[in-house]
Amino acid sequence: MSGEFKPSRLGPQSGEVIDRSATIRFTWDSKVMTGFAGDTIASALMANGVRIVSRSMKYHRPRGYMTADYWDPNGFVQVGDDPNVRSGHRLLEPGMTIDPQNVWPSLDHDVKAANGFVGRFLTAGFYYKTFIRPQRLWPAFEKVLSTFAPGGTVDLDTPHRLHDKRYAHPDVVVAGGGPAGMAAAIAAAEAGARVMLVEHEHHLGGHLLWGSDEDRALAAKMRDAADVAGVEILTDSTVTGRYEDNWVSIVQRNHPLAVERLIKARATSLVVAPGLIERPYVFAGNDKPGVMLSGAVRRMINMYAVKPGSRAVVLTANADGDAAVADLRDVGVEVARVVDARAGENVASANGPGRTVESVTLGDGTSIDCDLLVTAVGWTAPTSLLNMAADRPVYDATAARFFPGGPIDTVLSTGGLTGDGTVEQLVEHGRATGRLAAERSAVAKHRIQAHTARAAPVSGDEPAWPHDLRAALGRDPHPELFRSTTHGIVDFSEDVSSKDLVGAAAEGFDSVELLKRFTTATMGPSQGKLETVNTVAVLAEARGETIEEVGTTVWRPPYAPITLGALAGRIFEPVRVSSIQPWHEANGAVDILAGAWKRPEHYGDPAAEVMNTRTNVGIIDVTPLGKLDLQGPDVPKLLSQLYTNKWMQLPVGSVRYGIMCAEDGVVLDDGVTARLGDEHYLMTTTSSGAATIWEWAENWLQTEHPEWQVHVTPVTTGLCSINIAGPNSRTLLGRLCPDIDLDPDAFPYMHVRTGTVAGVDDCIAWRIGFTGELSYEIHVPSGYGLHVWNALLDAGADLGIKPFGLEAQRIMRLEKGHFIVGQDTDGLTKAPSTGLAPLIKLDKDDFAGKAELGWALDEFASAESKAPRLVAIQPTDPTVVPHEASQIVRAGTNEILGRITSSRMSPTLGRSICLGQVAIDAAAPGTMLTIVLADGTRTTAEVMARHAHFDPEGERLRG
Amino acid sequence: MVDPNSVNPVFESPITSTNSGSAGTSIGTSADQAALTLADESSLTKTLIRAEPRTKAERQLDVVFGASRLVDGVVISGQRPSEWLVIGEANDVSTFVDRIDREGHVSLVDHTHSRAMMRLTGLDASRVLEKVCSLDWSSEMTPNGAVVSASVAKVGCDIVRNDTFRHGSALASSAPTEVIPPSYWIACDRSFAQYLFDAILDAGQEFGLLPA
Repeated sequence: MSGEFKPSRLGPQSGEVIDRSATIRFTWDSKVMTGFAGDTIASALMANGVRIVSRSMKYHRPRGYMTADYWDPNGFVQVGDDPNVRSGHRLLEPGMTIDPQNVWPSLDHDVKAANGFVGRFLTAGFYYKTFIRPQRLWPAFEKVLSTFAPGGTVDLDTPHRLHDKRYAHPDVVVAGGGPAGMAAAIAAAEAGARVMLVEHEHHLGGHLLWGSDEDRALAAKMRDAADVAGVEILTDSTVTGRYEDNWVSIVQRNHPLAVERLIKARATSLVVAPGLIERPYVFAGNDKPGVMLSGAVRRMINMYAVKPGSRAVVLTANADGDAAVADLRDVGVEVARVVDARAGENVASANGPGRTVESVTLGDGTSIDCDLLVTAVGWTAPTSLLNMAADRPVYDATAARFFPGGPIDTVLSTGGLTGDGTVEQLVEHGRATGRLAAERSAVAKHRIQAHTARAAPVSGDEPAWPHDLRAALGRDPHPELFRSTTHGIVDFSEDVSSKDLVGAAAEGFDSVELLKRFTTATMGPSQGKLETVNTVAVLAEARGETIEEVGTTVWRPPYAPITLGALAGRIFEPVRVSSIQPWHEANGAVDILAGAWKRPEHYGDPAAEVMNTRTNVGIIDVTPLGKLDLQGPDVPKLLSQLYTNKWMQLPVGSVRYGIMCAEDGVVLDDGVTARLGDEHYLMTTTSSGAATIWEWAENWLQTEHPEWQVHVTPVTTGLCSINIAGPNSRTLLGRLCPDIDLDPDAFPYMHVRTGTVAGVDDCIAWRIGFTGELSYEIHVPSGYGLHVWNALLDAGADLGIKPFGLEAQRIMRLEKGHFIVGQDTDGLTKAPSTGLAPLIKLDKDDFAGKAELGWALDEFASAESKAPRLVAIQPTDPTVVPHEASQIVRAGTNEILGRITSSRMSPTLGRSICLGQVAIDAAAPGTMLTIVLADGTRTTAEVMARHAHFDPEGERLRG
Repeated sequence: MVDPNSVNPVFESPITSTNSGSAGTSIGTSADQAALTLADESSLTKTLIRAEPRTKAERQLDVVFGASRLVDGVVISGQRPSEWLVIGEANDVSTFVDRIDREGHVSLVDHTHSRAMMRLTGLDASRVLEKVCSLDWSSEMTPNGAVVSASVAKVGCDIVRNDTFRHGSALASSAPTEVIPPSYWIACDRSFAQYLFDAILDAGQEFGLLPA
């Protein structure tokens, strides 16, 4: 044909979905164009005469719209900063900037099209074979090949858009809003079920939308009926997966607030009604712009009023192809030839020296000029959701397509997926399916409700399981048409040809699953919807087998590709704060996240906070400290089971320190427990160990000693905890505690008292400390925590009170030589290594880790012991602070002896101090160690006699 | 020198709601006036009672796991097997708890300060919950009075569906039940309260959820 045809907008069509009163301006490839509200990008581009919209992935061949819907493999465009937009589906919006992807310098003149000239060398597996050696060049290969990667560009500065998530529990989910799907949804809702109807496209109706006026009237009537029946209708949404127990994932793309919403629906019954997907035909030139499927042509004409060509050849094997002929003629397209495949006619190639179709060569060699070749050669049954329910589709050669394999109780299928029929027959089958789904859902719900403690009571016995009495749809005969006498593209997304597949089969890839992975056929964005059956058919032909013998690949979730944003959904990141947090934030605290807790790390100068606490008095918010309320007569037994030391004789009013080990003797946690009353105790754990120890305690109570009468209740945040440390702490607390005698004799170290603090009743005060100073830890009801904190600050103003943060606390505990579980210990550190062997009481009854600790103690005492020791270390150069995790090596060698576990510059001592784990032969006091610093240099350090670098006798804390 | 007797402790709610200022210091009634509201009810007194099976306390409580009931101005919530949360005004809870027989293995822990509590009320309340929690909120599965423990916006919560009584008394008992909107008490660890309150408000934006 002479002169390239340009598609154009038709006059008003009775079924059009565009709003001609709402003109939309947009740009395509920097050219300003207009469309209408309701247009897809594809229809708007075609209406503006655009025929070439993209370049193919590998050979950069010009491509135009083939299916002009969601699945069109040629329609990926860049919209603003949004890459890989499916233009056959995305609706046109005002001001859209639309550009072709991965072309240079332009869509019309793409230099990468040179790949086409070497195409015969780029066979299946080319990359695997060519770039496997030499391995040292892999990074270079990667760099070069990545420039050929398809797709749009991602702007990393693009602001995050809102993605949402919701859960749903419909009785019936219907996947597919064609006539059968709508009928199923209406019938199920009328039967009393809560129904969610999910349609992939923008409008309900399926193929009725591009059918006759009567078809469209029926679609509208059914839409109204679905509304009246109370069906929740989700258009522009896709059921992307079906998982165990009908857990169904749905991506909703047209939510008013979120760009996408992931719906996790637990459906009692699932009705699969996706209709059929028209299959392309394989022949030479089948990817030239101007080759379109009959459904695409009919959608363009009837829904979007776009004239797709001026002179057409139509290859038809079914009624849809015949209808396309009629539609084309109705809008003035000259149909140069109807090639009837049912009569044995065929198309051999689409030709043209230019980039678009200019003629067609028929099977008998006849050449016909045309600018549009329409094919209608059959369908693919998208059985994906059924596959995900363990169904394996079965091929029917008579109907030339796959069908569902067998019935599944709560996953039913209807519509074209299951058979052929008139619209009335499809609707009736859909209604029967909807009723059955509702009935089965009711039975399943009855069962679930009867077995759920909180649910409303059910009446009567469980109904009998409804049998499937639906009349099956028929199967119309259809010629098997997959590949012509020539080779063409099978997978348009991946540029895989039938020739590639035949070559791969000859190389021995005789399994369709292996063939798929070797050639990448079916692995592109179309995900097999257009190319799976043709791939199977070409392989079957190449191997001389039937399609049944070859079988299909397995369709796994997702049914359609999902964005990472949709999967992430609404992001929940819980943060915990103490009741004093508002004060911290108002007073310059620099926060850190410790687990989920937001905590003040310091208030500007941690060293000053240390010195003030050592000199005057400091307070720190230690609310995250784990706290467990223990009540019952058998609490001592539980404590003895959990801790390694003895607990049967702890007096009321006393506090004891202990460590807990797992069954393997590894240190699990440590802390103190106070006896508040005869059968009432309060246990503290590390902040990070709170949940673990609660679970650990419950595990012992519920599985090993259910006879013990103990109630364990977490009260971590019910009690706001404040540590008051420093020489003035007793004076300060005395000002606020009228009913607690703080005299050292009345309230000695490692004891507990209850009373009033700053007017707050029911407070608990422990005389313990982690800083090495005289200190009290008070626990007050959290609702009054901020009040007590402020009262302490007020009362201590003349005593030099200052708050201190976690960093100051870490420094002071290191000065004092206290270890932190998880920092100074690890997943292999057994209790003897921490220096607390005296706390392991093997002479008591069973306790967690007893057997292993017995062996560990023996091993620890052995001269050949390999167990590390936790020791205090001081660098020779007091200004050097080795990083935590620095390696300790044997002098003059690289033999690793251990590592630094904690290190800080001590403001109290004016030098660097450390804790570290070292091998036994390097753990003796006075041993000189070599530490490898972060910059690779080495420094020396001495092992100290005791863990405490400061006040080793504990005179200050016992003061 | 501070006089310890001069201080006057004020309960601070863990939730600061834009509409309620220092929320929690009193229980407002605006929740009843808007279509969909989230109210801070953290200041309600909550006492956890644990009692072994076949104790007198268990019989007194008379609520099975997963259910709740209103008695003497308090709500008894069957949170877990052999574990109940008694919720109400301080005096009512105190009076009720004092009557609980302690024979056998029975323990009480004041959870007023441990558990924050918010009330989500409105015809779309269950749709809000669907966005933050995976449970089925239909009236068949979670009827009025039902009690569940679940993750809400990734925070472990105890939830009581409580449509028909508020603050210790039945709500307008003459009103037809079909016009009473669903209402849920959501209790969580106090430290998560502000995060959870904000997360639910954010999730409920599309339905017009407002802090009460």
